[in-house]
Amino acid sequence: MRGALPWLLLCMLATSACGTSTRVDEFRPSSTLLPLNSDEKVVVVGRRHSGAYETDPDFINCIGNKLATRGQLSVMPEQQFLDSFYPWFEPRMAPLGLKRMGGMLEDPLIGKRVRELGIRYMIWVDGNIETTEKSGAISCAVAPGGGGCFGFSSWDKAANYEAIIWDLGKLGEKGRVQVDSKGSSYLLAVGAPIPFIARVQGEACEGIGTRLQSFFAPAGPGSP
Amino acid sequence: MTKPQVSINAYCRTSQLLSHLRLLPIVAVITLLIGCSTNVTVNGDYPSALVARQPLSVGLVLNDSFNSYRFTSEKDNRQPVTMALGESQVQLFNRVFTDMFQSSATLKTLPTGQNTLDLMIVPEITEVQLATPMETQLNVYEVWLKYNLKVYDGNGQPVADWMMSAYGKTQSRFLKSDEEALNQATVMALRDAGARLLTGFQQIPEIRQWLANRQAPAKLSQRTER
Repeated sequence: MRGALPWLLLCMLATSACGTSTRVDEFRPSSTLLPLNSDEKVVVVGRRHSGAYETDPDFINCIGNKLATRGQLSVMPEQQFLDSFYPWFEPRMAPLGLKRMGGMLEDPLIGKRVRELGIRYMIWVDGNIETTEKSGAISCAVAPGGGGCFGFSSWDKAANYEAIIWDLGKLGEKGRVQVDSKGSSYLLAVGAPIPFIARVQGEACEGIGTRLQSFFAPAGPGSP
Repeated sequence: MTKPQVSINAYCRTSQLLSHLRLLPIVAVITLLIGCSTNVTVNGDYPSALVARQPLSVGLVLNDSFNSYRFTSEKDNRQPVTMALGESQVQLFNRVFTDMFQSSATLKTLPTGQNTLDLMIVPEITEVQLATPMETQLNVYEVWLKYNLKVYDGNGQPVADWMMSAYGKTQSRFLKSDEEALNQATVMALRDAGARLLTGFQQIPEIRQWLANRQAPAKLSQRTER
């Protein structure tokens, strides 16, 4: 029983310590669900105009996958969209507001490509994840007989993202979702380092993906 | 007679082995230096541009120094970085010019005398700047590229001298290697250079003036015909 005590403590630490708290807020101009025909697509694109941070493409893919798998929506991959419209959605050129987007859609080449590809909704995602606090230290040593680490380290991560839905068919904003996710991770080293990692970005993706999915009308039988 | 031969051979082998052993520290130092440096041959795919083609016949002059351009960082306080940029920038410029103009030809040198081309463009990379993970505190590189584009008309007369800068940054924070992160940042900078070229070329005042002068006689002849 005594031998099991450290393991019990370790399991308690693992389950309780690296918890993540996530808050999701939304704004809907209308309670009507957004319709999407079988030949129409949604694209999720990251904002990258800020010099201070970049919206991670992996996070964008994660949201896209959530919408495609759970929401059964037809989602165009971000890179395919950026390449199809090069150079108009590169960080330097991407429209920051609907007015500029409207101007771009009036360009015959861009407007034609949007219609050809069937892109109805564009979801802009802006934000990042950052390490807010870091403490503790771990030291490792190697000797001819073996090696090991000893110490304790912890860090807090915070993810803040905002998603804005644009309807390219009727040119208007259809909703906003904001997610704040926080979590603490730990690294305990007694001989071998044991990590307890909080899934901050994963939780943020889950939160924003699930909420975005609720904006769209469920896919009908004829939908892909 | 054979015994001395064997001992001479053994002596030679021992001395060869010793000379090789003497080289060991040098080999170790070289290995360490290579291990601590970042070497990248930039490799990216550049998409076709969604722009209207200009009704111009253009010669893109890509000389050997541009084609085989290699950047080496010179700062002493950080690990050395070597970046072979030539092949990738040639790929980008060829792609952009093909999409931008009705006709585009790649030339090795600037032709002398009159020719059938409307414009001849000689790009040159003048500056490369890097911010390494040591400076950004993440596995994130930032790359700044500065190009000088010299534009000549068909007679070889200078039309414009355009300084164009581009910027790129590693987008994924969790890339496994330095090489991958640096490659991604450089490809982003090259894509940005392409975007600048595609959208900014016609905005250069000297080019606008040249295009206006070129269109003026055509319009005048149309009016005379009417």
